[in-house]
Amino acid sequence: MRTLIAGGRVIDPAHGRDAIGDVWIGDGRIVDAPPAGTAADATHDATGKIVMAGAIDIHSHIAGWNVNTARLLLPEFHRAAAPRPAATPLSNAGWSTFETGCRYAEMGFTTVVEPAVLPHYALHAHLELADIPIVDKATLAVLGNDDFLLGLMHAREGASAVRDYVSWTLDAARSLGVKVINAGGAMAFKANVRQFSFDDVVPQYGVSSREIVKTLQRAVHELSVPHPLHVHCNNLGMAGSDETALATIAAAEGLPLHLAHLQFYGYGKDGPRGFSSAAARLAEAVNGAKSVTVDVGQVMFGQTVTISLDTLRQFNARGHARPRKWVILDGDANGAGIVPYNYRSSDFYNAVQWAVGLELFLRIDDPWRVFFTTDHPNGAPFTTYPDILALLMDRDLRAQHIATLPPEAMAVTTLPAITREYSLTEIAAMTRAAPARLLGLKDRGHLGPGAIADVAVYDDQRDRAKMFRAAALVFKDGDLVVRDGVVTHYRWGRALTVRPERDRVIDRRMTDYYENRYGLSDALLKVPEHAVGRPEPFRLVPCVR
Amino acid sequence: MARAWIDGKPAALERAIGEAAKMLAASRCPLIAGLGTDVAGARAAISLAERIGGVVDHMNSDALFRDLAVVREAGVMATTPSEARIRADVLLLVGPGLENAWLAAAEGRETVHSRDARSARSIVRLCPGRPGAEGDGIRTLGSDPDQLPVVLAALRARLAGRAAGNVEVAGKALDELATLLRAAKFGVAVWSAASLDALVIEMLCGMVADLNAETRFAGFALAPGENAVGVLQTCGWMTGFPMRTGFGRGYPEHDPWRFDGKRMVASREADCVLWISAFGAAAPDWGEGPPVISLMTGDAVSGRSPSIQIEVGRPGIDHDGIEHHAGLGTLVAIAAARPSETVSVAGAIGRILAALPEVSPGAER
Repeated sequence: MRTLIAGGRVIDPAHGRDAIGDVWIGDGRIVDAPPAGTAADATHDATGKIVMAGAIDIHSHIAGWNVNTARLLLPEFHRAAAPRPAATPLSNAGWSTFETGCRYAEMGFTTVVEPAVLPHYALHAHLELADIPIVDKATLAVLGNDDFLLGLMHAREGASAVRDYVSWTLDAARSLGVKVINAGGAMAFKANVRQFSFDDVVPQYGVSSREIVKTLQRAVHELSVPHPLHVHCNNLGMAGSDETALATIAAAEGLPLHLAHLQFYGYGKDGPRGFSSAAARLAEAVNGAKSVTVDVGQVMFGQTVTISLDTLRQFNARGHARPRKWVILDGDANGAGIVPYNYRSSDFYNAVQWAVGLELFLRIDDPWRVFFTTDHPNGAPFTTYPDILALLMDRDLRAQHIATLPPEAMAVTTLPAITREYSLTEIAAMTRAAPARLLGLKDRGHLGPGAIADVAVYDDQRDRAKMFRAAALVFKDGDLVVRDGVVTHYRWGRALTVRPERDRVIDRRMTDYYENRYGLSDALLKVPEHAVGRPEPFRLVPCVR
Repeated sequence: MARAWIDGKPAALERAIGEAAKMLAASRCPLIAGLGTDVAGARAAISLAERIGGVVDHMNSDALFRDLAVVREAGVMATTPSEARIRADVLLLVGPGLENAWLAAAEGRETVHSRDARSARSIVRLCPGRPGAEGDGIRTLGSDPDQLPVVLAALRARLAGRAAGNVEVAGKALDELATLLRAAKFGVAVWSAASLDALVIEMLCGMVADLNAETRFAGFALAPGENAVGVLQTCGWMTGFPMRTGFGRGYPEHDPWRFDGKRMVASREADCVLWISAFGAAAPDWGEGPPVISLMTGDAVSGRSPSIQIEVGRPGIDHDGIEHHAGLGTLVAIAAARPSETVSVAGAIGRILAALPEVSPGAER
């Protein structure tokens, strides 16, 4: 089966390509153009259209216990809970796994990373991911509030023991990388600590948050896991959290480190309300720290629900819950917090948050190091992506929005003065080529021969939001799955995983640990391949950099 | 060897499957109930409900929905069974129905609340509905579960420094308990919704939230049996809703009253029932009702004659299965202990789906 996407504007920053041309697909992969005169089995006219690789989302909470708990907490936000009007606040959010895959595919996304999986809940997350159609997916395993790691550090066991443990966890949970969420904060909260910063020490273990981050950063790096340690910093959402983010960026010390949803740390203490944008400071720090990558976590106005494994932060935020209900879980390691929230355009703080995200996008000069996220659904549902892309590409559109927001909020940001507009090439780098490189996925994010044929074709419209909301065509593994913004049929993607080497001594040690501490078999924590119930549910990504 | 019965008489599996498909296809309002099955069985059942415009409910929904009602109305602070067992220095066991293996393992254990200094754990039972055993080191306050609402209200009032009227438990004992709860480093309140009213659970969860103003406390609800929580999770991700969800309009609608299976049978709204019980052989707990297709373990049910009965295997015994694990508090994979040829619920429903008349493409899951 040979497919030709003919005569579109092909934008492929990984190969420096932006030109009218053809893209050929054969057996699910991008292939070189065959000799002139060769007929295609199927030809799609892309004249007047934009052709890009399928988009990759590196940080979106789409599956697992915490996401499902949000579903169960908020039935009233969804159509047909004891029948309600069709236009409920999250009716477009893609609330079931099936809708999630369809909404993503319709926008041209073909790979999505669920960034917060508790290792003990990994099977649940993979079962949900397996029911998300079309897209490939992956998980990040969350460490850094777990007794075993903190115990290793407390006992000064050294780097090799930590490496073996990280490797064991990645294997058992079938994850693509490691995330740390408010390192030590959830454990400290169990000991009744209510505020926890980068140099604070976890009671009973005697290790600081900084030490946990550095220990995991090093382990991930030494294991050659392609994706660097993914860090959710301390003090999320607080005025003055810019200092925490700056300290964490500085702590990268030249080794790869990814900071998640930086927007939520872009808050200084200036201005009449003691809350101001610190985006310019953070962007300058990111621009200078070449080993650091960030994603934004853009806020958009409207009702949403915050889903986080940062137990301490979510506990402290429970008073802001709208509607007034929340779930806080003290978990086996990290816990979780589900707090519904309504970002209002009339609210000073929410308006500053909106501006901070855009400032970060526009002030970080390298589109290969700033990633496109809303921290779905924490800043906004992922279905708002097209609107954000439009804002990045059009300063007049931004000005229109700014004019509707509280002037005193805009006054403590630098957004109104920014004139930069993203080009389509920069958008393609930020949403395709760069995420593939960040995750170590050489087989996607580009349109070179050998890449899997994940391709999005958009009508080149002036209204960029409209253009990105409904792709004209989307191919997944060469299979045409979206036509005119509508999914035509399901297919089932894979979860991408890594399995770095380890000394198998750790396996025996983990068996003993689970027996002694939990009275449980460690076999319960392992995700068996056959359990997921789809053919080839996993695909291994090599650990090389 | 596959066993099936039609009107109580042995029948070939394929014939039973075919008859079941005919009945379900002809039904105007099919109900899929019981739902005592593993995740694969629940996925298949929900897919079938979507296909035929049916309703899904679980035999333990009543208890499950009492906990869920509190979550959906007020929210909760919860913890895991492992943290309750390992970390809790105070365990408050609220109401009856808490005699199970999980708790037996917790009793007598030390807490590892402090890494270096292990400490004994205080356990208090509140209105357990049975006398406390002598010398087991567990304090019991109150006995009559019917008195639990007022005892709990009085305790919460005392914790808040407010006066409380006379209740079954003496004021001094209540104040001592309040002091113990306030002094907990990491306390856990445990209950079973099978024996508590939703308002009592809400009061208890409110008290747990109150305690967190000063110290750390969390709630832990024992999971109802027959994999109710596993089915709940599956239904949640597949539809966005818990059980008591119907597909009659072509998309999932949730209504805990309208789609209560027992109500639908009693009101004669449901005209055909697919009953699933793969962990035991629980039969429908209603008398007269519409024709039933049963996917159950074991022999033909005597006494009542389901129209069609198909023997299914037990998850984790006859075949590999995924179910909610009471000890870990999440879904786990359990390999078959004694693999057999008996068809699984997912397998049986898959065959029923295949035997249904064709529908438009794209509906397959």
